[in-house]
Amino acid sequence: MENNELQAIWKTLNTGGQQRSKEELQLLLRSKARHTMNRFVTETLISILISAGLFVYLIITSINRANDMYYLTINIILLVITLVSIVSGYLSWKTLRGNPSDQPLKDQPLKVWLEKRTSVLTKWLYGRYCKLYLYLIPPLFILILLSIHVYFEYKPFLEVLNNAESVTGLLVALPIGLFVSFFTAGRIRRLRKQQLEFLLDLQTRLSGI
Amino acid sequence: MKSINDEFLEIISNYQGILHKVNLVYFRSRSEREENFQEIVYQLWKSFPELKNRESLGSWIYKVAINTSISRIRKASRIEYHPNLPDICDKTDTVEFISRNSSLQMLLEAISHLDEIDRSIMLLWLDENSYEQIAGIIGISPSNVGVRINRAKEILRKLMNTSNHGKQ
Repeated sequence: MENNELQAIWKTLNTGGQQRSKEELQLLLRSKARHTMNRFVTETLISILISAGLFVYLIITSINRANDMYYLTINIILLVITLVSIVSGYLSWKTLRGNPSDQPLKDQPLKVWLEKRTSVLTKWLYGRYCKLYLYLIPPLFILILLSIHVYFEYKPFLEVLNNAESVTGLLVALPIGLFVSFFTAGRIRRLRKQQLEFLLDLQTRLSGI
Repeated sequence: MKSINDEFLEIISNYQGILHKVNLVYFRSRSEREENFQEIVYQLWKSFPELKNRESLGSWIYKVAINTSISRIRKASRIEYHPNLPDICDKTDTVEFISRNSSLQMLLEAISHLDEIDRSIMLLWLDENSYEQIAGIIGISPSNVGVRINRAKEILRKLMNTSNHGKQ
C-alpha cells in the first residue's frame, strides 16, 4: 500500500452528514450550562436526602430513648439543626431547579436563567456565612458522634460518659472524624467553586448571545 | 457589524468538519462523540476572544480539538476507541457511510492501534498538513513529526495489508 493511498482513502471521508447549523451550535453551548447546573441540583438533592436520613434516625433513636434526658437534649439540638438544613437545602434546590417550564432553551435568555442561579450559589460559596461550616462541623460532629455512640452502647448517657473505655474510644474517633469531615467539606467546596467559576465565566461570555 | 459570537459561530460552522474528524479518530460511541463535540466547541468559544492570529484558524481548531479530546481520554481512562466501526446504535450519516466504505473502515481501525499523539499526527498528515504545521499544532519538532509519521505509516500499512489478506 502506497503512502498516497492512505491520504486518498482518508479523502473519501465525508463529514457533511454531521454538519450543524449556527442555531444548533448555539444551543449546544447553552445545554452545556444547563448540564453544569444540573450537577449542583443533584448534589443539593443528595445532601437533602442525607439530612432527611439523619432526621429519621434522630426521631427513631429519640423515641427509643425517651427517658434519657441528656441523650434527648443532644438529639433535639441535632433535630433542629437538621431540620433547618433540610428546609434551606430544599429552598435552594427549588431555586436551582426551577419549574419544568423554566428552561434556558425556551423563551428565557440563558443569561437571565444563569443569573438567578449563580446568585444563589455565590451566596452559598462567597456570602457572609460562607465560612460558617468551619464553626459548625466540630460541635455537630461531636453531637452526632455522641448520639450514635451512646445509642449503640445500649446504656444511659451518663453511664457511657463515666466509662473510661467509651471515653477513650470517643477521644480516638474525634480527631479522625474531624479530619475526614473537614477534608471532605473542603474538597466539596473547592469543586463547587470551580463549577461556579465556570458558570460565572459562561454568564459573562453569554452577554452577546 | 457582526458580534464576536456571530463571528465565532460562523467560523465553527465552516470548520466543523475538523471537529468531526478528530472525534471519529478518538471516540467510537455517538454519545462520547456528542459530549466531546460539545466540550470542544465550548473550549474554542472560551479561547476565541484571545485568539490573535485569525489567519491560522484551522491550526487553532485542530490544536484545541486534539488537546480537548486527549485530556478527555486521559481524564476518563474508561473511554477507549474500539475498532469494528460502526456502532450498532449509531445511525449518523458519517458512520453509515464509513460502514459502506471498507477501506476507510480499515484505515480507522488501524489508526485506533496508534497511541494518542500518533493518532493526532496521522490525522493531521492525512488532512495534508505540512510537517511544519503539524509540528506547530502538536508542539514537537518537524523532524520528530517526520520520524513519527514514517513509523505510524509503516504500522498502518502493515495492519491494513493484514486486514486485506484476512478478507481475501
